[in-house]
Amino acid sequence: MLLPAVILVTIFLLAPFLSSFRIALTNERLIPRPVPPRFVGLGNFQQILTDHDFWRALWNVARFTIMVLPVQCGFALAIALLLNSKLPFRNFFRGLFFLPAITSMVVVCVIWATLFQYPTGPFNQILGFLSFGMAEPIDWLGDPNWAMPSIVLLSAWQAYGFQMIVYLAGLQGIPETLYEAAELDGANRWQRFWNVTMPGLRQTHIFVLIITTIQAFKLFTQVNILTQGGPRGTTDTVVHYMFTAGFVDQRLGLASAVAILLFFIVLVVSIVQRFVVKDRS
Amino acid sequence: MSAISETRTPARTAAIGWDVGAIVKFVAVTVIALVVISPLFLLVVASLKPDRFQILADMGSFRAFWVSNPSLDNYRNVATFSGALPFGRYLLNSLVILFCTVLGGIFINSMAAFVLAWGRLPGRAIILTAFIALYIVPQESIVLPLLTIVNKAGLSDTFAAQILPWMASPLYIFLIYQFFIQIPRDVYDAATVDGASPFRIYWSVFLPISGPVLATVAILLGIETWNQYLWPLMVTNTDNARPISVGIASFFGHDSVYWNSAMAASVMMMAPVLIFYLAFQRWFVSSFISSAVKG
Amino acid sequence: MNTVLGKRLLSVLGTAAALSVTSLGLSVAQAAELKVMFQGDPYEVTIITDVAKRFEAANPGTTVQLINTPHDAYNEKVGAAVSAGSLPDIMQLDAPFLANYVWSGFLQPIGGVIDKPLLDDMTASNISQGTYPIDKQLYAIGLTDSTVALYGSRKQLEALNIRIPKSVDDAWTKDEFETVLKTLAAQPGTKWPIDLFRSYGTKTEWITYAYEPMLVSMGCDVIDRTSWKATGTLDGAACVAAATEMQNWVKQGWVVPQSAGGNQFYAEGRPAALAWGGHWFYAEAKAQMGDDVVVMPLPKFGEKGASPNGTWIWAVTKTASDPAEAGKFLSFMLQDPAYREQYKEHAGFPGLKSFAAASPLYAPGGAMAVAFEQASKSAVPRPPHPAYPTITLAFQNAMNNIFDGADAQEELSKAAKKIDADIEDNDGYAPFGKVE
Repeated sequence: MLLPAVILVTIFLLAPFLSSFRIALTNERLIPRPVPPRFVGLGNFQQILTDHDFWRALWNVARFTIMVLPVQCGFALAIALLLNSKLPFRNFFRGLFFLPAITSMVVVCVIWATLFQYPTGPFNQILGFLSFGMAEPIDWLGDPNWAMPSIVLLSAWQAYGFQMIVYLAGLQGIPETLYEAAELDGANRWQRFWNVTMPGLRQTHIFVLIITTIQAFKLFTQVNILTQGGPRGTTDTVVHYMFTAGFVDQRLGLASAVAILLFFIVLVVSIVQRFVVKDRS
Repeated sequence: MSAISETRTPARTAAIGWDVGAIVKFVAVTVIALVVISPLFLLVVASLKPDRFQILADMGSFRAFWVSNPSLDNYRNVATFSGALPFGRYLLNSLVILFCTVLGGIFINSMAAFVLAWGRLPGRAIILTAFIALYIVPQESIVLPLLTIVNKAGLSDTFAAQILPWMASPLYIFLIYQFFIQIPRDVYDAATVDGASPFRIYWSVFLPISGPVLATVAILLGIETWNQYLWPLMVTNTDNARPISVGIASFFGHDSVYWNSAMAASVMMMAPVLIFYLAFQRWFVSSFISSAVKG
Repeated sequence: MNTVLGKRLLSVLGTAAALSVTSLGLSVAQAAELKVMFQGDPYEVTIITDVAKRFEAANPGTTVQLINTPHDAYNEKVGAAVSAGSLPDIMQLDAPFLANYVWSGFLQPIGGVIDKPLLDDMTASNISQGTYPIDKQLYAIGLTDSTVALYGSRKQLEALNIRIPKSVDDAWTKDEFETVLKTLAAQPGTKWPIDLFRSYGTKTEWITYAYEPMLVSMGCDVIDRTSWKATGTLDGAACVAAATEMQNWVKQGWVVPQSAGGNQFYAEGRPAALAWGGHWFYAEAKAQMGDDVVVMPLPKFGEKGASPNGTWIWAVTKTASDPAEAGKFLSFMLQDPAYREQYKEHAGFPGLKSFAAASPLYAPGGAMAVAFEQASKSAVPRPPHPAYPTITLAFQNAMNNIFDGADAQEELSKAAKKIDADIEDNDGYAPFGKVE
């Protein structure tokens, strides 16, 4: 019963990934060249690890992850709780709140580029209105301080539906009897949330934490469309760095080495997370 | 990560009263929902402007949220595109890929999760960890070796090339696993005592109580499949198996963008997944586990 | 039309799967079949599909199989096709990548298989975009080419008594250009004197395509075009001065910022006074501003002017089963009246003199005539070198950072080193860089 999954994953995920280990040791190119690719040992890794831009990209995704985790998951949980409670037109709202998640990222970026537009876009107009014209317009995507938070906001908006629906499913697993019992014990709504809902979502939390972290570390599409890593590299990410090296600069070997480094870095992060979460149980 | 095997009190039928301030809550939810989806108005509004240059001129201001002469021309043009791009065919292709991937994905992933959660296999934890670790691998990094594999297998430009690689997914195996291990041990034990085979237990005991999680997987895998872009772009050569996501990309030409058609096509592309989602989210009802324990 | 197309596609389906696995070297063509790989927006796809149909009708026994590839993944497709030995007979390519493809050994010269009158009809710029510098042979041809021009509002310029150049020869000088920017900056309604279309970002070719000519006109270049070394040129004094100059425009607040979008020239209130835009920008601007749009040549920053060129052009692969037939198809297509008519409707920038003469927009007296004049007088192709992918990446990142305030010398040195390291990594891309 495990076999179909193992076979498919091995052929279509593991095998291509393993082949990148071989490529990472060569100077292979995207478009094959008359100069045959040669073995370069750990040269690609050395080049990456001594490249300031790589470390900056890694730092950027770490920043992104730390910012997006609470925003995205917190909002998703809040909405899931609302949509799980008694509510008129509940299914309608469930559809409404899920709309961003089914919008393709390209379209999302087009929309948000307009919202972020400097200096007269909707966000800046709202900012001006709320501050009675006091606040200077912000160059959301063009200011090194604001670019990453802006990407965080956009990403959380587009993707919270994922966590929302996982929480929604998780909430179905908490027996109503537990709430009843808590209510009989005189627990108020807040206490019920902390003592019944949160423990009941334990497995869901673990899943959401680990998966959202991995997804955050793979940040790419929105950055590639909106900022291409700028301004001054403040939104460059590891996958964008890899994609640029492989598909633009055509250095497949180098790109494969980045993929491998990313794999092990995120693996360590995930293991630490598992360890910490487990400790608390 | 050990299985939670706490025994739960049998469910009773009383509901929990959350009616206090129901109207306040309803209004609040409506306001939040409007704020949250407001960016999407821009998409719909733009799709109603037939002049692509007008869309461009209005971008970056509140005018992007307003259309003075709404027209359905863009939709008509995309639907009956007189040129060389058969959007009907693309839509059909996308639906075929969606249904095959989701159907296969639900069974393959839930079977794997079942074995990992309850099977007697040695080294289950390691296999699970390996699966999750593979989720780290970004798609962008494997598309090229994958393309070589698919080409060698003679699957280039086929549906299979777009279905097989993404059916089995570490992400969803992990998700279903997290759900399965919450199911009380009694459920599994009771079935074993009856002498049921593992497959039988999976099929007639676990699957029926997994509605919410399977619906989640169907929805998430469905959306993921629907919006796949890079891979189908690389693996399809003709309109044979090209999905709509790649079809829409054609509107973004190398020196001009057909915003009018692109926006209308994007809205049209959202409709089928929305229906798909609404169909599956109905499975999010009551507590399946507790009702299973009840018996 | 749709049903015929449907049938054509169905007939193609059968062979489609085989295409990717069959090595071309082994496949023996029964009846002549031409595989054509190209990219394009829906309108171009329609145009090309139609012309292929007409070619089949005119040449019974020959079928044309079209492989339409979105341009997003074009390079990846080429790479995959080369690795799998499944290159088509005819392929479209983006002009600056020509040298990379030819050097890699999968294109063949087409001078011998294209109709002679067609070759004679090519503009100087079109020839330059299709020529490989090592053997000076023509490897690709197209009906169209491209350029960048300076756009303004006639009313505004005339009201401010700013001279509107009428030909490439009397383009603004550097001083004149900067005086104009200064004058425009002082206008109350003008937020920015010029839009350089930073909004295109580094994801497109824009920065190398549109800004390199500024460097060339200012007396430097991205890479030395004889020794093929970037160090000493890109990081030399002339380039640093040029880049610092351009950075200064941004610092003065004269340039539309990247996140302001690409519509500031014609958006409500016309926040940007001038636009440094591609030939395709004319249609956009005209739609909002009508006949007020005036097209001017790019300024002459130094002794000579320079302007961009290059677009998607057609080449024949080395593995083509029947190069003569491939040439026949290209000759047919480029001379097909309906094909030309449709490109004319979409304001394609002419790469053939006869096409220009027949396009009212670009013909003498047309609104874009001065832009077309650049094709014969100032067009400079992007460096025709196999390291181009690295060259353009390094240069774009450097320029973007410089615009964002980074030190010009530092960024250009870094870019020059990256380019030279790539060249070294490929053993100099011989025979490039060898003294002849």
